[in-house]
Amino acid sequence: MEEKRLKKWTLLRRGVQLGSVALIASPLAGVGIFRGNLESASLMGVKLSDPLAALQAMLASGVALPAFIFSALLVAAFYFVIGGRTFCAWVCPVHLVTELGDKVRSRLGSGERTFPLSGKKWLLLLTLIVTLLTGLPLFEIISPIGIFNRALVFGSWAGLLVVGGIVVTETAVARRLWCRSLCPLGGFYSLIGRYSPVKVRFSQAACSGCGDCVKICPVEEVLQSALGEREALVKSGECTCCGACVDICPTRALAFTAGYK
Amino acid sequence: MEWTRRKFLKTTAAAAAFAAAGADLIKGGAGNAEAVENGIKWGKAPCRFCGVGCGVLVGVKNNRIVATKGDPAAPVNKGLNCIKGYFLSKVLYGKDRLTKPLIRKGDKFVEASWDEAMELITSKFKESVEKHGPDSVAIYGSGQWTVFEGYAASKLFKGGIGTNNIEPNARLCMASAVAAFMNTFGSDEPMGCYDDLDLGDTYFLWGANMAEAHPVLFSRLIDNKLKNTRVKIIDLGTRFTRTSQMADMYVSFKPQTDLAILNGIAHVIVKEKLYDEDFIKKHVVFKKGKENIGYGLEEKYKFDDEPKGITFEEYREFLKLYTPEYVSKLSGVPVKTIHEMAHLYADKKRKVNSLWTMGFNHHSRGTWANNLVYNLHLLTGKIGRPGENPLSLTGQPSACGTAREVGTFGHRLPADMVVMNPEHREKTAKIWGVPASKIPAKPGPHAVEMFRGLDRGEIKVMWIQVTNPFVSLPNLTRYRKAARKEGRFIVVSDIYPTRSTELADVILPSASWVEKEGVFGNTERRTQHWFKLVEPPGEARNDLWQTMELARRLGHGNLFPYKSVEKEMWEEYRQFTIGQGKDLAPYEAYHKARGLRWPVVNGQETLWRYAEGHDPYVKKGEGLKFYKNKANDFKAVIWARPYEPPAESPDREYPFWLSTGRVLEHWHTGTMTGRVPELKRAYPAAVVEMNADDAKRLGIKNRDKVKMSSRRGTIVLPAEINGRGKPGKGNVFVAFFDETKLINELCIDAYDPISKEPEFKKCAVKIEKA
Amino acid sequence: MNEKMGKISRRQFLQGSLATPLALALAGGMVTMPFLRRADAQGFYLRPPGALDEKRFLGACVKCGKCAQACPYNSVRMAGPEAGVAIGTPHIIARESPCYLCPDLPCAKACPSGALDAKLDDVEKVRMGTAVIVDRENCLSIRGLRCEVCYRQCPLIDKAITIDPRHNPRTGVHTIMEPVVHRDKCVGCGICEKSCVREKPVIVVMRTPPKQEDYYEF
Repeated sequence: MEEKRLKKWTLLRRGVQLGSVALIASPLAGVGIFRGNLESASLMGVKLSDPLAALQAMLASGVALPAFIFSALLVAAFYFVIGGRTFCAWVCPVHLVTELGDKVRSRLGSGERTFPLSGKKWLLLLTLIVTLLTGLPLFEIISPIGIFNRALVFGSWAGLLVVGGIVVTETAVARRLWCRSLCPLGGFYSLIGRYSPVKVRFSQAACSGCGDCVKICPVEEVLQSALGEREALVKSGECTCCGACVDICPTRALAFTAGYK
Repeated sequence: MEWTRRKFLKTTAAAAAFAAAGADLIKGGAGNAEAVENGIKWGKAPCRFCGVGCGVLVGVKNNRIVATKGDPAAPVNKGLNCIKGYFLSKVLYGKDRLTKPLIRKGDKFVEASWDEAMELITSKFKESVEKHGPDSVAIYGSGQWTVFEGYAASKLFKGGIGTNNIEPNARLCMASAVAAFMNTFGSDEPMGCYDDLDLGDTYFLWGANMAEAHPVLFSRLIDNKLKNTRVKIIDLGTRFTRTSQMADMYVSFKPQTDLAILNGIAHVIVKEKLYDEDFIKKHVVFKKGKENIGYGLEEKYKFDDEPKGITFEEYREFLKLYTPEYVSKLSGVPVKTIHEMAHLYADKKRKVNSLWTMGFNHHSRGTWANNLVYNLHLLTGKIGRPGENPLSLTGQPSACGTAREVGTFGHRLPADMVVMNPEHREKTAKIWGVPASKIPAKPGPHAVEMFRGLDRGEIKVMWIQVTNPFVSLPNLTRYRKAARKEGRFIVVSDIYPTRSTELADVILPSASWVEKEGVFGNTERRTQHWFKLVEPPGEARNDLWQTMELARRLGHGNLFPYKSVEKEMWEEYRQFTIGQGKDLAPYEAYHKARGLRWPVVNGQETLWRYAEGHDPYVKKGEGLKFYKNKANDFKAVIWARPYEPPAESPDREYPFWLSTGRVLEHWHTGTMTGRVPELKRAYPAAVVEMNADDAKRLGIKNRDKVKMSSRRGTIVLPAEINGRGKPGKGNVFVAFFDETKLINELCIDAYDPISKEPEFKKCAVKIEKA
Repeated sequence: MNEKMGKISRRQFLQGSLATPLALALAGGMVTMPFLRRADAQGFYLRPPGALDEKRFLGACVKCGKCAQACPYNSVRMAGPEAGVAIGTPHIIARESPCYLCPDLPCAKACPSGALDAKLDDVEKVRMGTAVIVDRENCLSIRGLRCEVCYRQCPLIDKAITIDPRHNPRTGVHTIMEPVVHRDKCVGCGICEKSCVREKPVIVVMRTPPKQEDYYEF
């Protein structure tokens, strides 16, 4: 099937990704609707916090403000509803950068290997333990997401080396290493996403078996496990709901669904 | 000699050595004002800033000032400085120093040669004088003119061009003090000196924020207090300042009611017979002048006081109104405090001094305020004696030395003489070598009237030297517009681009301070000399040369026939002072001395005027003699001057009093201090000081932007609450150093009809949150 | 084909080649970093008003930058990587732009996590540090000159900084007006440090030394 299809999910996703970046940068243009960054923010007066950042801060300092907890729960609930790692694919700026980096990598043909997805969860556990023990929010210190955002808003460019380092490492060593296997925040959202109502549904009846979906999927393991069945949901929380498979499937065998059955 | 000198310079501590050296220097014997150390050549000079007149040593290397330090041998400051003086070495080296003459072409200025610029100026002067007469040209200078610059300007305009259109900015700062010195004692400038700050024990500060405006003197006053537990400092004001903070007693009063308080104190002294009857009989006459004298807001307002002699009884009668109860109601000062102050003034065991500055002088009844404070000293006989004197503090380095002594006002001639007096004109013309008819008998317009004349069109060509009137005039908008009116030609000589040069037709780059030789005269009659130590940058030239060059081109070159300009000019000028109780010393005497206080007779300076044993004009046995007041039988005058309200008081629409003034970090309009990065950092921009209760009522918090308007202008400034200055309820204060915030646009151009000094301390404003 | 790819990558992982040590190093670095470089090792950071004590502050701050965005003077800066574990935390470089003590403390109010006390409502209760004259010999006021810029610019003038006048024996007739900081009143805003006229400020804000209790009243 050579018919060129509009990649509507991917286009939409790019729009949201760039929109998020624009929103974070908006105070620079004097726009008053957004303050803060992905760690914590106010959007039109609503306080929102990264639940993992909040968890670390509370574990590290022992300070737990109800408003802060609420703002984190709000975000956690939101991503729970729309699929957990949707944050990664739709909002996270580092994901945006590494996605673009991955295009370069695939052209170079280097770093084709991958690491297990579960690494994230172990590092999440490690992060929380270290945070509790040292009183320092470990992930917040090294988070390339925070570094990227601060570079964007405050121009502290030096930290961008970390983001650059990730891209270089991924290009040289392993495909999507950071987002797939290391990022504790991704690990956190994969836990939430496991029970999320939003999933990708596979319908074997329509499948032509071309394999394009697996080629394009960033977490192909979890897609693959669904492909063998007649009618299946991509159950794993690792799915980022990026919609690439839905877009690419020539026979529309893949689609988003919402709700439990 | 060289060895001693060097060692001496290195010694900053030995007070005894200073005293010894000082004595030597005064005799003009030992000591050399220049010494070389580490390739740095040190020369002496008075500080460029305020009227205190601190001595500094200026270190020069490769034709550049590389350092300055307080001169340990200078009796005024003994090696100390304030923070402005500390940064003197940077004042001349701002990046935007003017180095080439500039001529306006449309909205732009283009560089020109001196010849082009001077030729243009000359042609404008010539044309204007030919077409409209000599009174169509004017020169506006300042109390920062060196004696030479002021003298040359006066001689050229009064004796050459034949107009009295010469005024200094000192009209905006010292004129009321001058008027009161003249009508009380018959001679300008104080009888006392800074030594009174060490010798007295009671100090009344009237509208003087000495802590910030006269920093080193204040340090001296406080030292007296530290040494002597008896010393009492009473600060009277409408704003709680750093001076109030260190005073023993702060007396807050409603603006303008100082007149009533002074009369209230006199009332108590007279009523309770606390006065010195002998002294009054011997040294005092009583007078009364006109009342309801107006505010000079009308164009071409004319006023002449009509003094009438009265008796002590009549004066007593006049004071009856000013009961402490009445005064208290008017001023807000408690009755008890008025009694207390009267008793302090009159206490026979107390050596009482009054010190004042712009609170009195920037006052639509400034001359009266000065008169009234003299009344207290004359009633109690506490005058003309070491440690008990009234002392009018000045604010510019040569307000005394140049503006007042040389007489660069529209009505004055050197050494207390005036143009209205034919004998004075005669004498002046003789020394100047011009026909007496050349000097007009009609006084020139005072500063405000001069700029009004520019606005109305009577004055067409104006040369402004060493000052920044288009920041410092009151009701500024009118005069800034006037400068750019059709048919006006404005020349501004300055060292930096200013808000005045931007309105000029020709800008001339000037030499400043030690880039030229000069003489300044400070508050305590101290005449201080310095040599030129560095070359001015680029093509910048001395204002003295500029004035003489105009003279030459106008055909008045014969007025300045000198070979050795400064020395010969000095000796010529000195002739005015000899035998007049204002004697200056021969030029060389000042080369080494750290200033001498006139009258200098037989090489001896005078610490206390009118006092036997100190003033050579007072003979043995005379005790005290106001020998300059011949018209009043050598007596001083107690004036019956009433309380009258100011030109503009707060009302419903404009409910606040606005006062303006200085801060320690900056000087005048900030053209020099604003170019010292450290001072700019220390105090970057103007604020409006507000009373905490007023601010709260208006919902204004510290640093909030507020919009302040008067009937004349509007300004937006951040509020400062409970900072260094705390205005009384209903008062606000703004410092005027910030050229980006022209606070004087709000000020009223009302003035004291006697002294013609404008009211910068009171006008009505409203305040809103911006 | 897909099967194969998956297998290869898993096998590669198991072989470990370069990746295992890399992952271990990363993890190890993460573990050791906090111990290697505490913020203390970097010296004193002047935190925005209402900050928790430094240790808890470093824990509680989520580096969102809202305090910095709220500062009308751009005084609150976000630390870069040179700050070690304090990277991304807000601090104030007093010499460049101090805290001007906005009466409504917008920075503290903006803090979501409690790292800054959003309930703080009185600027006089702020305790960011304490100003100290660190170089008496270079202080112009202590040398007898009339400077005292720090005192006059102090927003808590006559409370946090007062003038202690004493006789100047060098001249015999002048007063040394020494600025004296009172730690129980000083909020540590750094305006004095900013305004000091010396090339290197002689008055700087430092961590407030702990009070050592005794029973003397002076």
